[in-house]
Amino acid sequence: ASAPALSSQLIVAMATAPHTWLRLVPSCRSYSKATRLYKIDYPWKDEPKPHWVRQFEARRVDADLTPENRDWLRQWRLQRVRDAVASSSEAAAAASPLKEPPAARPLWTPRVSQRCGLVGIKLGILPMWYRNGQKVHTTVVQIPDQRVLRWVPPEDLGNYASLREMRPYRLNQSFLPRWLTQQRWGLQLVGAVPADPANFTAQWCGIFKAAGLPPMRKISRFLVSPDAALQPGACLGLHHFRVGDCVDVVARTVNRGFQGVMERHLMEGGPAAHGSTKFHRKMGSAAGGGGPIYRGKRMPGVMGNRFRAARSLPVLRVNTKHRLLFIKGFTPGPPHSYCQIMDSWMLDVRRSLDANPPPMPTYFAEDAPEGGYPEDVYHPDLLPYDQPLELPD
Amino acid sequence: CFSCQHPARDATSAISSSWQLRPVPGLQVPLRLPSDRRPPVRRFACPASIAAASAAASPAVPPGPPLAPAGIARVYKPRLSPEAMKEFWRLSGIGPDHSRAKAADQQAEVPPEIKRLYQEALPPIVSQDYRDPIVESLHRAEMMRRRRVINIPEFHVGSILAVSVMDKHAPNKVNRFVGLCILRRHTGLFTTFTLRNMVDQVCVQIEYELYSPSIVSIQLLKLERRLDDNLLYLMDAPHSHCTIPFDMVPEPYSRNDPVPVNRERVRLNPPPWMCKWHLHGYQGIDLEHLYSYLSDKDVAKAIEFSKAYKRYDLLDQYLNRVPVPDADYAFKDIFIQHQELLQHQQQQQ
Repeated sequence: ASAPALSSQLIVAMATAPHTWLRLVPSCRSYSKATRLYKIDYPWKDEPKPHWVRQFEARRVDADLTPENRDWLRQWRLQRVRDAVASSSEAAAAASPLKEPPAARPLWTPRVSQRCGLVGIKLGILPMWYRNGQKVHTTVVQIPDQRVLRWVPPEDLGNYASLREMRPYRLNQSFLPRWLTQQRWGLQLVGAVPADPANFTAQWCGIFKAAGLPPMRKISRFLVSPDAALQPGACLGLHHFRVGDCVDVVARTVNRGFQGVMERHLMEGGPAAHGSTKFHRKMGSAAGGGGPIYRGKRMPGVMGNRFRAARSLPVLRVNTKHRLLFIKGFTPGPPHSYCQIMDSWMLDVRRSLDANPPPMPTYFAEDAPEGGYPEDVYHPDLLPYDQPLELPD
Repeated sequence: CFSCQHPARDATSAISSSWQLRPVPGLQVPLRLPSDRRPPVRRFACPASIAAASAAASPAVPPGPPLAPAGIARVYKPRLSPEAMKEFWRLSGIGPDHSRAKAADQQAEVPPEIKRLYQEALPPIVSQDYRDPIVESLHRAEMMRRRRVINIPEFHVGSILAVSVMDKHAPNKVNRFVGLCILRRHTGLFTTFTLRNMVDQVCVQIEYELYSPSIVSIQLLKLERRLDDNLLYLMDAPHSHCTIPFDMVPEPYSRNDPVPVNRERVRLNPPPWMCKWHLHGYQGIDLEHLYSYLSDKDVAKAIEFSKAYKRYDLLDQYLNRVPVPDADYAFKDIFIQHQELLQHQQQQQ
């Protein structure tokens, strides 16, 4: 897309670190410590912004085509998608890599390495039992077809287009996130679920062109250390995570719609009886003695539909046939929603990974054990259903 | 008929004249007014009173059914063919099951004993957003894997079971409980059942997970069915109804015979009760005896509740039933795995 002409001053500003030019400015005077009235200020705020890339396009009605020709063209398009997916698969990469591979696979560096994650689709819940008789609920997550799309090094974080548009929830926070200020990690863009290009706009397809990939329905980004960076077109597979690895699952929570304060913020409301006049489920007072209602006051609104992370969940079972990960516990989001799965950020998990490093930067075909993987790989503590329970006396 | 107590006729034959399109003067197209859309006043009249009314109105015209307005056929004619409508009713699962005379091949595919043995194989009745075919097939596969280790007999609410679970504190490391099955909940690997019995003059109810590996054995002592889906009202019934001896001898049963139905009606204890048993449509309670404890208002409410009006609540039936194609698919999948299970058992023997 054609970007607006930028002044040299702006170019200089953008080339520096974002915490130098991105400022949180108080939006009004206030003598109270509880107020968080800030507004984001950045040099190109008043410049015309680039329009967002639209993903989906309404289907064109080609009246000139006969139904048979339309079907033939669709099959031809889908065959090209399949060829593009197959040519970038791990089998093809082993034979003839897409681009120049790195000289050697990077080693796992303690306290430095952070691998890329996987995009998953949450399917449902399956109960299982441990070998000591304890019950555990596992979330079934399917790992769809996905490829690496782009690598944004930490130095270029400030210039990255998607970060220039500040998200509205930043207004509630008085500091910028550390990954933006410290710049230790870069962004790894991953595309998942390839689909028919006719569903998408040309702009969306253009995002995948540089990597030589077919257009995909979902793009996710992961914070990855530079030593674990992946080249565009690399294949991310099911065995990126092993049985026993602890993962963080980030997803949008279930949208519960417009809810009142009692449901949303667990406020107490009022008495049901004893002469209470029209005060049963209300908020009550909003502010104190003539003061302003500060930003962030808990009020009714849409509940849910926010990104939340379930931390440090072990992978208990891997199913190779349906490409499933069985993750202990419950993850946010409804069934058939996308989720991001990555190596856990919890310190004890990171220390255990130093002792037992995972495949770096990701799983490649050469890491496969002899004879391949069985259909189901279980955690040693987990009891498969076709084995009887044997408790120690 | 409110005049001569004759049985009511079909409502569609008694359509009032307010359904006619009323043309507005000055407009070429007759305007459809909101009052025209109101449903007609239904007067269920008997043939005798209709004949009398028509004779009184116009004696020259021979009495007959009232004529419908000209536009009615265009609006109310079904747009689907009768065969398509039949298929729709069959797939929806609503209405009387006229599809008993199914094609022979479809009936022969899944024998009825599969539906009795694997009641929990049916998919859960939830919104379509929360159902996934892969997860449901995983549940079914794991259910059949568990059945290679332990024999889970066919049982219904009202049957008597003996369940042995692993217990590290018990002398033989096994804890055996005998009881009447009063409840059977959930589907797939989440299936649970509750047994009730009297132990040292104390009522005990234990809920077991059917596919828990800590269950050593499930023994069926008596195969029986009751008139209700759950027997929770036994909590307010005399203890004699759920006193089962722990040394009960298992009664033989045949899989081919239909499940015997115990049609006994339980007399509840006097109130207060744990629940308003008269409002849930239980057939296994002695209702006359129950109503003797209730006020007239409660009895009227109970009678109102027990009317079969839910038969006409189409949305209720749609939401609380498993779609027929999904049920067929699940049972076919289970049937194939059932045959593999039988082969596995023969090989083991």
